[in-house]
Amino acid sequence: MSIELIIFICMLATFALSIFLFKMPAGVSLMLAAVVGALIGGQGFPVRHLVEGGFGFLEAILIISTAMIFMRVMQETGALAGVSRGILRLFYRQPTLLIIVITLFVMFPGMLTGLSSTCILTTGALVAPILINIGMQRLAVGALIAMAAVFGEVAPPISIPVMIIGGGVDMPYIGFGLPLLLVSLPPALITALYFRFRYLPDYNVAKVKVYLDSTDGEKYGFKLYIPIIFVILYMIGEIRFHEFVPHLGVPLIFIIGTILGLLTRRGVKLIDVSRTALRSAMPVMAILVGVGMFLQILALTGVRGYLAVTALGLPEGIRYLAAGLMPFMGSAYGSASIIGVPLVYVFIGKSTLVVTAVLVLMAALGDLMPPPALLCAYSSQIIEEPNHFRILKKCIIPMAISMAIGLLILVFAQEIANLIL
Amino acid sequence: MLYIIYTLILAYVTFVVIIEFLKEKKWRNQLAMAMVLLVFILRLLQIK
Repeated sequence: MSIELIIFICMLATFALSIFLFKMPAGVSLMLAAVVGALIGGQGFPVRHLVEGGFGFLEAILIISTAMIFMRVMQETGALAGVSRGILRLFYRQPTLLIIVITLFVMFPGMLTGLSSTCILTTGALVAPILINIGMQRLAVGALIAMAAVFGEVAPPISIPVMIIGGGVDMPYIGFGLPLLLVSLPPALITALYFRFRYLPDYNVAKVKVYLDSTDGEKYGFKLYIPIIFVILYMIGEIRFHEFVPHLGVPLIFIIGTILGLLTRRGVKLIDVSRTALRSAMPVMAILVGVGMFLQILALTGVRGYLAVTALGLPEGIRYLAAGLMPFMGSAYGSASIIGVPLVYVFIGKSTLVVTAVLVLMAALGDLMPPPALLCAYSSQIIEEPNHFRILKKCIIPMAISMAIGLLILVFAQEIANLIL
Repeated sequence: MLYIIYTLILAYVTFVVIIEFLKEKKWRNQLAMAMVLLVFILRLLQIK
């Protein structure tokens, strides 16, 4: 057995022990795994490399911080509640369209922040009562929100797992828009249709109209939506019309959106909102620092090179099996950093952009899986279900469909890339 | 100009994380926050 493989196994074992036995946060566990890897690799206690690695995802951390503050401000000003009410009012006569639009709305915060849990805690919490009141089963509502959160994490413009994999294989976060849309939108639409026809077969328009009229609360002015419109338009403008729109960077766009949000409604305290936002984003920020350290030590000890070379020699069937195993890691970021990075090398003959997008979809599905089953746990809190595994059970069919779509895209990755890129 | 603005954004985020760090009761979570703070403070002080 080569020393690189021994180091890698020890790093994985330290990570697992730290999480499951010592109940450490995932970010700290990744750092401990990196320290153990360096010690076994004969590098001593590599302070310089740990610090160097910790900076690997500083930009992603800033994006998450500012995006979370922006989303919280949007929640506090009532803009998100206004949008969810508007969606119901616009589409309540067409239930299929309503469920599709609700799914996309739940995905929205994940698309901007790159975090799946944000979808459930913000838009998911807003649409859950609506879905329950229009007649969808409580557990199905939880499952739909959890699934939409997964697709939101994958969908562009911001996808943190792509950044993690990109950091591991030295690939810039450029040109992922279409591949990420391809792997997130079709499964999201199929999932929405699945929940519509399986769990909302007897939709009663008159009953929904009564519910809509009974909950006619605060009226929301157009100005509340200006920050959201600004953020979306500016992000598109920066990419599509870069000759005319100055490049500000995603964190600054979110900060301007936040300032606009604070101007649209009085009484929202920035410091309180920021504290709540950063508290919920903290585990992910720590994971990103830990992943950076982990990847740095993989490179330092030669494990990264060993994995790349070994991966290239894997038989065809095993490659797809390895991709199919990604969701079973139980965490999108863990899966992306540990399995995702070598798997990009495995499929090196195919389009790297499409392959990475598929791997991110596979990794993101891991957020639903035990032992943490994070999204199911959050979702169960929203719908007040004590056993979150019942939500996971409802997610199994859409998960299987999403994995099948992912594997299909992976098989034809190069052909698809030739068509869309 | 952008450089100064981004430094200010980072300073604000660092300030909020420090507040959360001081209010946090569980040492495990404090450890995770310290990892993030280390990166922020080193960048703010231009050490890295």
